[in-house]
Amino acid sequence: MNKVIIIHLNGIAYHVEEDGYEALRAYLDVAHRKLEGNPDRDEIIADIEQSIADKFRALLNPHKTVVLTAEVRDVLEAMGPVQGEAAADAAPNAAPGAGTPGPAAAAPAGTASAPKRLFRLREGAMIGGVCNGLAAYLGADVTLIRVIFALVGITFGAGVLLYLAMMIIIPYADSAADVDAAHGDPSTTDEIIRRAKQGYYESLRSIRDPFTRRKWRRQFKREMRQHRRDLRDNLRRSLRGWRMYWHPEVPTPPPAGAGWWFAYPFIAVVNVAVVALCIGAVLSLVLTGSVFGVYLPATYPFWLQILIVILVCRLLAWPMSFMHQGYYGHRWGYHDPISHLLHTLAWFAVLVFGVWFLDHHTRHGHELVMRCKYELEEFAAQVRDWWAHL
Amino acid sequence: MSLNDNFSPIRKGLLEFLVLKVIAAEKVYAADILTQLGGTEFATQEGTLYPLLSKMRREELVDYEWKESEAGPPRKYYKLTAKGEAQLRETNQYWLKISETVKNLGQRPAQQSQHVSP
Repeated sequence: MNKVIIIHLNGIAYHVEEDGYEALRAYLDVAHRKLEGNPDRDEIIADIEQSIADKFRALLNPHKTVVLTAEVRDVLEAMGPVQGEAAADAAPNAAPGAGTPGPAAAAPAGTASAPKRLFRLREGAMIGGVCNGLAAYLGADVTLIRVIFALVGITFGAGVLLYLAMMIIIPYADSAADVDAAHGDPSTTDEIIRRAKQGYYESLRSIRDPFTRRKWRRQFKREMRQHRRDLRDNLRRSLRGWRMYWHPEVPTPPPAGAGWWFAYPFIAVVNVAVVALCIGAVLSLVLTGSVFGVYLPATYPFWLQILIVILVCRLLAWPMSFMHQGYYGHRWGYHDPISHLLHTLAWFAVLVFGVWFLDHHTRHGHELVMRCKYELEEFAAQVRDWWAHL
Repeated sequence: MSLNDNFSPIRKGLLEFLVLKVIAAEKVYAADILTQLGGTEFATQEGTLYPLLSKMRREELVDYEWKESEAGPPRKYYKLTAKGEAQLRETNQYWLKISETVKNLGQRPAQQSQHVSP
């Protein structure tokens, strides 16, 4: 399985394997550098992109929608290296004083804002560097991102899962280039690709016949629309499949009993109160370092303190949410607590299987599980200490 | 160094002349130029041709118009300018002179020596 990247070449979208994308990017980067100072640089590069796009299109059909890395390399091989003006015009002795508009010409070009890539950043990380990387990606303050994550974690419980998922999916920025990319690197190729998209309209302008121009513009729009529609349809179809799988038939809710109408507002109010309490506790911890004046052991790392607060709050809310689920489940066709319990167990099994799968089949997952084990042992040791000192 | 490598600078220098020749015959797309040169010793690639065409356009030897192709978006359709035609004529004459020289250079002393000996 390989990651696929969507690129635009003169206005048409192509799916390209990640390594192929890198090769393409490197090729265009070199082309860009070779043509430095050439007044027709953008035009030549647009021509070259068009030509690459044609070659890509010849490789694709309705049953094959991705350009493979080997194919990208073959296409670039066929294109040949882009010859700079100096190389084509002879002048083998590039005298130092003769023509060096390089740095001066490069300066104004480098001001365009560069695109970024999402990485986890080790430097200054608290857990896995997810928040750190996100902050660099969004250009926001790390603390703000952390607080948002903590809040999402409390209120929906999904924040923790989200964090774990991102920890597994997003790679660490291992090289200096990656770190640059996480903060936004000044490479020019993505800028070219973005321009190429616009370039289509601009090149249309040079067609003098208004009828032809209209026709091409219509076709371009149609293609882009079709592309978007396909994407949406695919998404919807897979979502529907997912839903069908988990809920083969959604039973119509039976009429609610009197108990339901009494219990529901009560449970809801208590739930809201617990959530509010939880948010308050975490905010208090973040802002003053104590939970409403109660200090947690200073030996615990900050993130663990937040986690403890969240866990305690969830424990408080648990019976409520169980009742809520029970009633909710009753409304949706669970007539006894046993099936509710089974449902919970099934979910638990899926979760355990997921963790087992990640542990055995992905490197990141394995590292994560090992780390969790280590942290749990640390935590247990600290609890034992704390108990002994009591 | 093979013969092929020896003549590489000459082929490079002649490329512009040949492109002029191809475009002079009829209006073409860049891809047509590549196909026509493809079978010959002067086979070249997009990476070389596009910068060359752009240079020639800047020197007003060729010009292009946008024209739709059978598949995909409109393409550049190249034609020669008056200046390009003049340049082609000039280059052609020069080329004929050169090839004449190449053909005759070794033969004249031989002919002379033959002429003198009896």
